[in-house]
Amino acid sequence: MYQKSPTQEWTSNVVRYKKFSGSWAWLLHRITGLGLTAYILVHINTLASLQEGPEAFNAKMQVFMQPHWIFAAWILFGLVLYHTLNGIRIVIIDFGKGAKYHKQLLYGAVAIGLIVFLWMGYIMFFGHAEYDFLSMIVTSYN
Amino acid sequence: MSYKYIGSRGSGSMSWFLQRISGIVLVFVMVGHFILMHYNPEMGHSFNRVFERMQNPYYQMLQIAFVVLALYHGLQGVWNIYRDFKFPSWLNMAVLAILIVVGVGFGALGIANILHF
Repeated sequence: MYQKSPTQEWTSNVVRYKKFSGSWAWLLHRITGLGLTAYILVHINTLASLQEGPEAFNAKMQVFMQPHWIFAAWILFGLVLYHTLNGIRIVIIDFGKGAKYHKQLLYGAVAIGLIVFLWMGYIMFFGHAEYDFLSMIVTSYN
Repeated sequence: MSYKYIGSRGSGSMSWFLQRISGIVLVFVMVGHFILMHYNPEMGHSFNRVFERMQNPYYQMLQIAFVVLALYHGLQGVWNIYRDFKFPSWLNMAVLAILIVVGVGFGALGIANILHF
């Protein structure tokens, strides 16, 4: 009789388990949470240059106004956005009657999240006349 | 109290509750943070703009609450994830100590950044 190896058993269990949207939401919440916790430590450390005076702080901030850092900030915003929207979903599940429609809540959170994510991208890249990041990217490749 | 049982006292319901409450507060502060810092990049990336905002003591208090709540929420979250696994008790002790030291250390640095003004 054919028997699955322990690895096959484990893989099929994990794949089956992760089919449910709630498990994906849970896993992504943890991954984004770990990433954001790491980021806030870096963020506080970076802002310590405020204590070194205007020149040091402004010089450091100019670095983060480069287009690729703006892109990184946009991705970071995506992590914050997912963690926030799914966090609201968790609160509705825990404190309200959200457990009955937790999947619909997730689909709603993803839909709202995508719209806000694209909108924020538009503001970050095109919303400021004095910071035309698109032409900065184009000129950097010329 | 032996270190063997560190982290296993209580049901964890209080940390669950505080994680929800701090999360709800952070949603509101975070929305304000992103609108303020990214609607106009000058606001978050110019020393003078930061300096002007920090002249308001209520704004400073809000920022201190923001730093403390965000660090608490994040490090408590790391501890929650860690507690889902079974590790030797000496490691529990070490991880908890590291999380507390990181929280106090970076919390102090963040508050110092704010109170510098």
